[in-house]
Amino acid sequence: MKLRVSHILYAAALVGFILLPQLITVKYYLHLSVLALVWVIAAQGQNLIQGYTGYVSIVQAGFMGIGAYSTTLMGLHFGLPVWLTILLAPFVTALFALFAGYPSLRVKGHYFAIVTLAFNLVIFIVLMHATDLTQGEAGISGIPKPGREGGWLDFANREVYYYFVLIIAVAMTALAALIVRSRIGQTLIAIRQNETLVGAIGIAAWKYKLFAFVTSAMYAGLAGALYAHYQSFINPEIFGLAQSLDAILAVIIGGSGTILGPVIGAFVVVFLPEYLRFADSFRLILYGLLLVLATIFMPRGIVGVVGQLWARMAGKATR
Amino acid sequence: MTDTVLEVENLCKSFGGVQAIRDLSFTVARGEVLGLIGPNGSGKSTTVNALAGVFPATSGQIRLGGTPVQSLTEHGRVGLGLTRTFQTASIFPEFTVREQITLGGTVTLKSHPLSSVFGMGRDASEAEALRARVQDILDLTGLAPVAEQTVGTISSAQQRFLMIATALAARPKIILLDEPAAGLISHERKTLADTIKAIRDRGTSVLVIEHHMALIMEVCDRIVVLNFGSKIAEGTPAEIRTNRAVIDAYLGEAV
Repeated sequence: MKLRVSHILYAAALVGFILLPQLITVKYYLHLSVLALVWVIAAQGQNLIQGYTGYVSIVQAGFMGIGAYSTTLMGLHFGLPVWLTILLAPFVTALFALFAGYPSLRVKGHYFAIVTLAFNLVIFIVLMHATDLTQGEAGISGIPKPGREGGWLDFANREVYYYFVLIIAVAMTALAALIVRSRIGQTLIAIRQNETLVGAIGIAAWKYKLFAFVTSAMYAGLAGALYAHYQSFINPEIFGLAQSLDAILAVIIGGSGTILGPVIGAFVVVFLPEYLRFADSFRLILYGLLLVLATIFMPRGIVGVVGQLWARMAGKATR
Repeated sequence: MTDTVLEVENLCKSFGGVQAIRDLSFTVARGEVLGLIGPNGSGKSTTVNALAGVFPATSGQIRLGGTPVQSLTEHGRVGLGLTRTFQTASIFPEFTVREQITLGGTVTLKSHPLSSVFGMGRDASEAEALRARVQDILDLTGLAPVAEQTVGTISSAQQRFLMIATALAARPKIILLDEPAAGLISHERKTLADTIKAIRDRGTSVLVIEHHMALIMEVCDRIVVLNFGSKIAEGTPAEIRTNRAVIDAYLGEAV
């Protein structure tokens, strides 16, 4: 019965997302919605390593940057078509994640967080200073859209790009759900609960942790690539530490270790700053406050709170 | 085909200047229950951890079914048929009892973990066999009534049986029980003794560390006694009970 309720919820959410562009009258909100969908992909990846495996990684935006720059540079230097570079970007990111994850997954908890944070800084510094390749702080503009010019789909149209990203975000969310329900997902959840025992029952935990880390980076790489071709402009600032914290925030606020959590969380982190604009430079302080309050009062995020309310209501109804 | 499941030869383990185990040798035969007893600090837990691969032995040989395993990792040894339980409950608190035991059995699956993501190339008979084995273990360890309960919510005694059940799911040749009776009351100890005998009757060897002498004397075929990291006696329960050195070092007079 519970399963059926959640299926109806999923279907309703999907219908809502499909209808959204028709309901939005302010163009700017459609733009934010596209960005939020990009963040859904990045947050789903973050959730795999942070929510399910229990390893808080602070490099998701850095990996988005690798995805964004690799799709852009492959197009620029090798003349590859956009669809192909978008497809390749997650794999380029995966290579970097393998390199970063192998040593850093030997440490746990805060140490892991700090090591990944350092990787994000390194990525940022390299993007900033390898000016021959990345044009540094000035960034790269004029990044082409997918599809041929004059093709039957005009990706320069925001609505078209919205549906393009929506399809990918839904597919990546479904993939995350499949991973979580598989033997691999069960093992990741087991690592979060008791890594020592995972080793004692004969499972090489490091392989699964590396899988989760690399997969999460591939999600980020894909999100970064979609972002680059949507905005047509990238610079290192977009992929700094603050954005990695956004990915963490999205997972915590939405609901860590749940499939819908990152979806809700991504929309919160994209739309909330718009509503916090009045606070200007105090934005980050408000953000931090929000994060602290969220972890204290809703450790399972919005999904957890709604789930509790739902259970309470269902309990009253049957009484 | 050897009938010796576990061979330990001249095992030594030092931590800095402290020699926790000195020249320890013993064997465990197939379907045998071997007790490892001794006063606190005699090196029992160090022995279990060295056998399980938590840390490498300083020197000596450990062979599982004839294969040297000193260089293998903890999970590598599980793959060769050696599983263990812990002194304090080690559990997956959010899983159900059935889920935890099932995860304990995944090491026996041949299909690649990735195949389980898309449900392709999955060996249905293999999954079915695991399901049946988990049910069998639930019955054997008396956990069937709480199979669908969350592990964090069952009693601590049930959690101890769950550790044994999880270790059994990997279809081990030998299972190391590290103080399985700790915290159990009398009738639970009785169930534990029956469970250990049932495990042995199925052909799985058991190495059990325990302070509860009645249990050790009841279930063990042979006993090895440690003191200050060295073996001071080895024999049947009857021999150990009357061994002068053991009485002086550990048991005391009135046994």
